[in-house]
Amino acid sequence: MTAQAPTIEQNLLTQTLSRPSRSLWRDAWHRLLRNRAAVVSGIIILIFIFVGIAAPVLAPHNPLKVHDGKGYLPPAWVKEGPTGKSGDPAFPLGTDTLGRDVLSRTIYGTRVSMVVGIIPTIIILVIGVSVGLFAGYRGGRVDNLLMRFADIIYAFPDLLFFIIVMAALRETPIGRLLNGLLLLFVALSLVNWVGLARLVRGQVLSLKEKEFVEAGRMIGASSIRIMLRHLLPNTLGPIIVSTAFRIPGLIITEAILGYLGIGLRPATDPNAIFITSWGALMLDGQAALNSQPWVLLTPAICVALVVLAFNYVGDGLRDALDPRLAGTE
Amino acid sequence: MITYLVRRILWLIPVLFFVALITFTLMHSAPGGPWDRDLEARQVDKRTQELLNQKFGLDKPLFINLSGGNPFDSQFINYIWGAVRGDLGPSYRQRGQDVQDILFKPPEDKPFWYSKFGYSARLGILAVLFAVVFGIPLGVIAALNRNTLIDYFTLFISTVGISVPNFVLAIFLIILFASRLKLIRIVQQNWDSPGAWIIPAVILGFGTFAYVTRLTRSTMLEVMQQDYIRTARAKGLAERVVVIRHMLRNALIPVVTILGPALAALVTGSFIIEQMFAFPGMGRAFVTSITQRDYSMIMGTVLVYAFLVAIANLSVDLVYGILDPRIKVGD
Amino acid sequence: MSTRKWSVALGIVVILSMLLSACAAPTPQVVEKVVTQVVTQEKVVEKPVEKIVEKVITPTPAPVAVQKKLRINLGTYPDIIDPQKSSFVNEIAHLRLIYEGLTKLDKDLKTVPGSAEKWEYNADATELTFTLRKGLKYSDGSLLNAARFAYAIKRNIDPETAGEYAQITDEIKGAPEWRGFEDDPQKSKEENAKARAEAKKVVDQSVLPLHPDGKACVGEKPADVYKDPDCTVLKLTFSRPAPYFHTVMSLWVTFPAKEENIAASEQWWNSSKYQIGNGPYILKALEPYVRAHFVPNPNYYGEKAKTDIEYSYIVDSKVAFEAYKNNEFDIIGAAAEDLEVIKKDPNLSKELMTYPGSCTFAVMFHQLKEPFTDQKVRQAFAQAFDREAWVRDVLKGLGSPTLTWIPPGFPGYDPNEKRWGFDPEAAKKALAESKYGGADKLPPIKLTFSDSPRNRTRYEWLAAKWKEVLGVSVTLDPVESTTYTALTKDIKTAPLAFILGWCADYPDPQNWLSVYWKTGAFGERIGYSNKDFDALVDKADVELDAAKRMELYAQAQRLLTDGVPVAFAWNNVNNYLVKPWVKGIVTTPQDSEWPGAIASLTSVDIDTAALPKK
Repeated sequence: MTAQAPTIEQNLLTQTLSRPSRSLWRDAWHRLLRNRAAVVSGIIILIFIFVGIAAPVLAPHNPLKVHDGKGYLPPAWVKEGPTGKSGDPAFPLGTDTLGRDVLSRTIYGTRVSMVVGIIPTIIILVIGVSVGLFAGYRGGRVDNLLMRFADIIYAFPDLLFFIIVMAALRETPIGRLLNGLLLLFVALSLVNWVGLARLVRGQVLSLKEKEFVEAGRMIGASSIRIMLRHLLPNTLGPIIVSTAFRIPGLIITEAILGYLGIGLRPATDPNAIFITSWGALMLDGQAALNSQPWVLLTPAICVALVVLAFNYVGDGLRDALDPRLAGTE
Repeated sequence: MITYLVRRILWLIPVLFFVALITFTLMHSAPGGPWDRDLEARQVDKRTQELLNQKFGLDKPLFINLSGGNPFDSQFINYIWGAVRGDLGPSYRQRGQDVQDILFKPPEDKPFWYSKFGYSARLGILAVLFAVVFGIPLGVIAALNRNTLIDYFTLFISTVGISVPNFVLAIFLIILFASRLKLIRIVQQNWDSPGAWIIPAVILGFGTFAYVTRLTRSTMLEVMQQDYIRTARAKGLAERVVVIRHMLRNALIPVVTILGPALAALVTGSFIIEQMFAFPGMGRAFVTSITQRDYSMIMGTVLVYAFLVAIANLSVDLVYGILDPRIKVGD
Repeated sequence: MSTRKWSVALGIVVILSMLLSACAAPTPQVVEKVVTQVVTQEKVVEKPVEKIVEKVITPTPAPVAVQKKLRINLGTYPDIIDPQKSSFVNEIAHLRLIYEGLTKLDKDLKTVPGSAEKWEYNADATELTFTLRKGLKYSDGSLLNAARFAYAIKRNIDPETAGEYAQITDEIKGAPEWRGFEDDPQKSKEENAKARAEAKKVVDQSVLPLHPDGKACVGEKPADVYKDPDCTVLKLTFSRPAPYFHTVMSLWVTFPAKEENIAASEQWWNSSKYQIGNGPYILKALEPYVRAHFVPNPNYYGEKAKTDIEYSYIVDSKVAFEAYKNNEFDIIGAAAEDLEVIKKDPNLSKELMTYPGSCTFAVMFHQLKEPFTDQKVRQAFAQAFDREAWVRDVLKGLGSPTLTWIPPGFPGYDPNEKRWGFDPEAAKKALAESKYGGADKLPPIKLTFSDSPRNRTRYEWLAAKWKEVLGVSVTLDPVESTTYTALTKDIKTAPLAFILGWCADYPDPQNWLSVYWKTGAFGERIGYSNKDFDALVDKADVELDAAKRMELYAQAQRLLTDGVPVAFAWNNVNNYLVKPWVKGIVTTPQDSEWPGAIASLTSVDIDTAALPKK
């Protein structure tokens, strides 16, 4: 551990001396590419996104097709499932209660779940980070006002807020857009940005008293520059961790909303864009745990993979963006 | 400091007011009402519905009474006036009981902690304790042993914690501990026995535990690179002192930020535990009141939650000041 | 603040919370023992008031070694356990143990004497006179007379009560008027109060507790009437002939909860102190959301119950299933998802109890909305619905297909109704014959349902099948459950197509046909109104000759099916897992929450010899 200290200093020295023209971000990108776990994880995420986009091509069956008499089939390699049926090579991961192909449903589920995980996260990041930075850095009245406003939103119980919003607005035209996804995005973002804003603000409050910020101010750097160049990179650790957690959190929230009967609207049209989600699959699987555990396992493994992938990418990003950690691996 | 505190506490009033206003508006814009029942049951007939509405004042205008009489004789204003005096109104579904009694009144001859709120609070505190007591050390250990097996193990555990929803985790733990290992009973005869609380608390706190672990690890890594840590080491302080006094204290700031609200969420969020273990907490009141359109119950539970969160956030801000004296809370 | 202070603070928090959770731990075993002692010896008495009572109870010192306990998982905890306010099956499951009506149902769903030993109608069935059994007592030993039942019936009608089943006794003369009394804003307060009192008086006159000689029961003080042992006759007067009304009197709304107990506390129903009844069991302890403990009532007039009963409230069916497998429950409901696993297991399959239920489900078509205004379209959709496959593949056997309204096992069931069953060819033909002429010319069709994971799979199946057989694309429209209820209540907002069920309140065709399908009744929400049908059931409702009456209802039921207003689909099936040591269960289709809940309350028992060794 202690041996690291000189390395960092040397690095900082070399950085400032030999590569003054390179931007922080480009530097970070290079460091990120050197992190093998992060690269592999990034590829996994890209694969999931690709699967989501190319679902109609990849899925062996139509995810809505009911195969009569083929319900409860275990995965192809299982000789005898809990209900006494054996696997069928036509359905590699088995079928659900109605005889719909689990693999195809999982593939289609990728689409909804990636969208539900990523889009609100972007909205949350943009709003949460900017409000948090601004409030924390400015302090005083602005901080007070923003944080008290945040208090009101924060004081709502998340789940309760979703339920009320969904129950109230679900049957309106807005609630019906994109199978109800739009309303879900808005509700999820509205509730979640506050937590992030508070987290960032907390970090900024402690950082802005630190020497490097003082130094930045002394040499006359603009507020925006200080926020973006000095404060933001230093708050990235918690932001990235919370984001890496938020994405699967959102995917699971969607599942829980389904459990409560206010999730995504199911599609019956085989050409619909959003048909099912991992969350919905997990629900099916949990309900029928005794007779078809694989319906639960498949989406659960997918969610776990996404979590791991985002974690590693997150770790990699943080390290890459942290100037003090530069080149330590 | 004192004025700051007073100001923050006074601010609770408008926060709660706006929360009440928004909830009230939203819930009344949802179709249906408290007398709309599960379709398989016989529906309340029109006349009875009118009688019930009159009885509970639900026939009055929502916000302002324009019928000529007292303009303040509206549902919302009546509710707020009642709430100010500590009366959260009668539940429309559990008839004969007031919301505050359902939430806070223990059964006869029992102390306060036997009320629904008391049960949930005890379970929530246990869950947060579990998250903190296991999460923080695990996070610290992972950070100190970065990229070793221990680190990967904690990553695995926290991945499970976040990717498995707790309704799934619960059933797995039940099968493991009750059906296979025969260590616990599923049907709790007695919530007085401390052992009965362990599994529910673990299930409830697992997500928070996973989050705390990751957050601690991440902030520890950050702190470890700070100048003052090197200074502390250079001063020749014992490693233990460096870790605890310098690293941990600074690493705790983000963790503390999430703990307050997490506690509030866990105290009120025992819904799934209640479904699975027949646990007499308040989570059910929270969730079912919305589908039941039990208006007063919705308002009551939201306000209780909002109050808890507000208090939790206030405490977080105060703890900031304690953990990091450089933060000027009073600004 | 130094680290030390911080850690001290943390320590305090830790210790505090441990105390919180542990402070309430006065050795669990002891608590449990006290409870069982109370049960077996009736010795521990908490309040002096009950001590007097205790002397009356004791004459049964049967040397029971181990107190038997039947453990049933009931699922959701009731919202209210009040005879005149409850309406849900889980609430009624409690009431049926604690109380008993004037009549009750036997294993064949025939109405048999309950607290009344006999009853008779007058010549035109506008009066019904009950004679109570001799020496009836409440579980606390106090007297139960006809005035108690009169109070219960009137409390159900009373607009102050605003009970959810208030309209079920509307045949009683003056009941709809009193129940629906509205103040006239033109009149003064006093005049209104007077008019209200008048309305009440009419009901007082039509629900009359009497002495056997026909003299009215009166006491000096109003409460004295409850102490009159000779007040054993109850006379009901109807506004029209109601030859089925003795069956209505078996419903929970007539259960005689004590007036003084109800008056004692707003929350009287949540306390075992006030839930004093005349049923085969006593509510010994009620821990809301955790359990309810019932013990046999030694003062019950008939055969005494043989075992304690304990209700638990685990909502999640998988957890309950695990608990059952661990021998922590004796009876649970079997979930559809677990059925195949149960059937495959050699032991569990023997413990599965499956028998017909009391509900009929049907696909409702809105008669006033295109395209279901056309009978041929309705017929096409009905005939394109493969009920056998639905029950087999979707419900996993938790139901039985039906083509008629009244379910099997209930009086009025029509086993010969075979019309509009699954027939793809006929369905296509009917659609072609409709005024639309084919699937592509139909206006958009939306199938609305209450959103839940289980329902989604079900309705996705149905939409897929209609597409397959008729080539019609049906849009699915899941809505949140209460929104769904609200929508389906009103003819204007009622969806185009949806599935709805009706479960018997009491076993009489009147409850199925008149109460549901008469113009202005429940069927009106989908625009069903048929003058001929109305005339038939009106005639049947007042017909005194039982055989003729059934014939009229049978005609009405066939007439209903003629126009295919709905596609009758399936009857629910009761599915329970029952441990082999539970004996004496007699099932009826009307059972809800546990098997034998109607007809075997006193015969259900536990064979202690068959219990697993610990």
